[in-house]
Amino acid sequence: MDDALILVEDLCRHYVVGGETVRALDGVSFAIERGEWVAIIGQSGSGKSTLMNLIGCLDTPTSGSYRLNGADVQGLADDALADLRNKEIGFVFQTFQLLPRATALANVELPLVYRGMSRRERRARAEAALAAVGLTNRMHHRPNELSGGQRQRVAIARALVGEPSLLLADEPTGNLDTATGEEIIRLFDDLHRRGHTIVLVTHEPRLAARCPRAIRLTDGRVVGDGPGAEVATLGAARAVHG
Amino acid sequence: MRSFRRGLVRASSEIVEGVRIALSNLVGARLRSFLTTLGIVIGVMTVIAIVAIIQGLNASFESQISTLGAGTVYVSKFGWFVQGRDEWWEMRNRKDLGRRELEAIQREAVHASAVAPMAMTRGPVTRAEKEVSTVQIIGTNAQYLDTGAGSIAAGRFLSEVDVDLSRNAVVLGAEIVDRLFPGSAPEASLGKKVMVNGIPFTVVGTVGRRGQLLGMNMDANVIVPYTTFRRDLGAKRSLNIAVAAAPEDLPALEDELVGILRRVRQVPPDKKDDFALNRQEQFLKVYRQLTGALYGVAIGVGMITLVVGGIGIMNIMLVSVTERTREIGVRRALGARRRTILLQFLIESSVVAALGGAVGTALGLGVAQLVALLTPLAAAATPSAVALGIGFSAGVGLLFGSWPAWRAARLDPVEALRYE
Repeated sequence: MDDALILVEDLCRHYVVGGETVRALDGVSFAIERGEWVAIIGQSGSGKSTLMNLIGCLDTPTSGSYRLNGADVQGLADDALADLRNKEIGFVFQTFQLLPRATALANVELPLVYRGMSRRERRARAEAALAAVGLTNRMHHRPNELSGGQRQRVAIARALVGEPSLLLADEPTGNLDTATGEEIIRLFDDLHRRGHTIVLVTHEPRLAARCPRAIRLTDGRVVGDGPGAEVATLGAARAVHG
Repeated sequence: MRSFRRGLVRASSEIVEGVRIALSNLVGARLRSFLTTLGIVIGVMTVIAIVAIIQGLNASFESQISTLGAGTVYVSKFGWFVQGRDEWWEMRNRKDLGRRELEAIQREAVHASAVAPMAMTRGPVTRAEKEVSTVQIIGTNAQYLDTGAGSIAAGRFLSEVDVDLSRNAVVLGAEIVDRLFPGSAPEASLGKKVMVNGIPFTVVGTVGRRGQLLGMNMDANVIVPYTTFRRDLGAKRSLNIAVAAAPEDLPALEDELVGILRRVRQVPPDKKDDFALNRQEQFLKVYRQLTGALYGVAIGVGMITLVVGGIGIMNIMLVSVTERTREIGVRRALGARRRTILLQFLIESSVVAALGGAVGTALGLGVAQLVALLTPLAAAATPSAVALGIGFSAGVGLLFGSWPAWRAARLDPVEALRYE
């Protein structure tokens, strides 16, 4: 278990809203090995976004422990969390979250800027990352000159450029049409085959079914953990019955 | 060591990145940037224009004041700076200064290097049909030039013999030479006869050009022996006496003069001096008081405008932080530390302000040049004023940008990413 990339034990995240405690996550435990492609699936309000924020080191848990790549995230200072995100995690967001005034290349370079890398090295790596997602001829375009699929590819290049140990995608196809979404999923599939660890947060059973493994959350608890196809249908069945 | 180097690279690339982001945001919102910096622009423009004009005035004033001897005390009935009518009347009613005072000073003032009387009147100076109507006629002695009153351009100055024999010898000011002997060299006037107040005089020399002193033409004069002056020009007016000394002897000289004059003029010990010792320095002092006050006003006005400008910058930076909340979230997710965000916004506000300062400086210098062109006022731009204008605005940007930047740095990444 010790060499798991992600080790989550009895993780809780409570919010106090209007004097009332909301248990967004209520004792979640699982492990994700290196090279896995795991979907975290759940309805809205199931706690999957909260879990994603914790895994992404954007937030800290109320209780429980979280080890990422052997490091205990619990109790890290804000700067250390920022450095950890920079080094270990590549984010892919539903709304792409590219900087509108920067070119594709500048967007992809950004994580390396925060790593303190020299300009030349940054440039070379960003070009390579954009080439890897098939955007060699779009490097100097701004986001508004790119299609949705291309934007998400830029975002994926940005997530990959720092060679993180984990690719963390939040509804990466949510703002794309079916065909383009399929393209992006194939890209993830490809990345998975090349050894990247991917955690994909989604509410779509169809998408979770594509992943080798899925973890289903309901009301802040894990209610299913197994092969993607099974866990996805489990949800569908529950939806039908429930 | 390695991590230190990496930290340095990181810090410098963050600063470079910050400036780049700031500039791209500036260009991205030109109108807003312009409006934001308007306060700063106007503030800096005002200060720079006023400072440039004051510095121009200083330069021209100091060059003018140098036509008065720096090491010369002018003994006179009247002080140069009279405060109010009562003081003027008091001075008006003083005993005239005359030969007794002059001779006492010549005899007893051991610190004096030159002593020259200055009897003055106005009158016409003519040669053939050419006339200059109201010329300052100065009666003095051979030491006059040594009290800082210019230098000889042609011929010679008055000699002791001229004075002793009350000769009708005259030395012409540069402008009188120009008007009486137009188009010829100063030498052409030597030995020629001119009429001073109707009395014939022989030109023995001419004085080099001296320029203006506070609007007073220092070249429109003629200089004659004071003995001749007393005899022929008859004025029984009070003498002025110019007494020169080495700069380090000036205080001792002044003490000495006060003693001599009080004794000669029999001023009782309980009475104030009934004469005035005037010095170039007094001009400078009064002048500095005046421009010091102007500086104060300019800086006060500038400060107020800069504060107003700073508040404008703070306001727009707060809006900018709100607008770019998601961008801040993305940057934080990608590994930007709080201080990186802080730095980015601080750089942005100071770059905006510094650009405003640069524009304001340029406009201010332009206004100063315009004023210099359209009015008799001079204008001078010093590099220090320019550096100060830009530097100060950047400081204002830094100061007023710090609250918005702090708010940006304090944003929670999760909230910021979710912000619509």
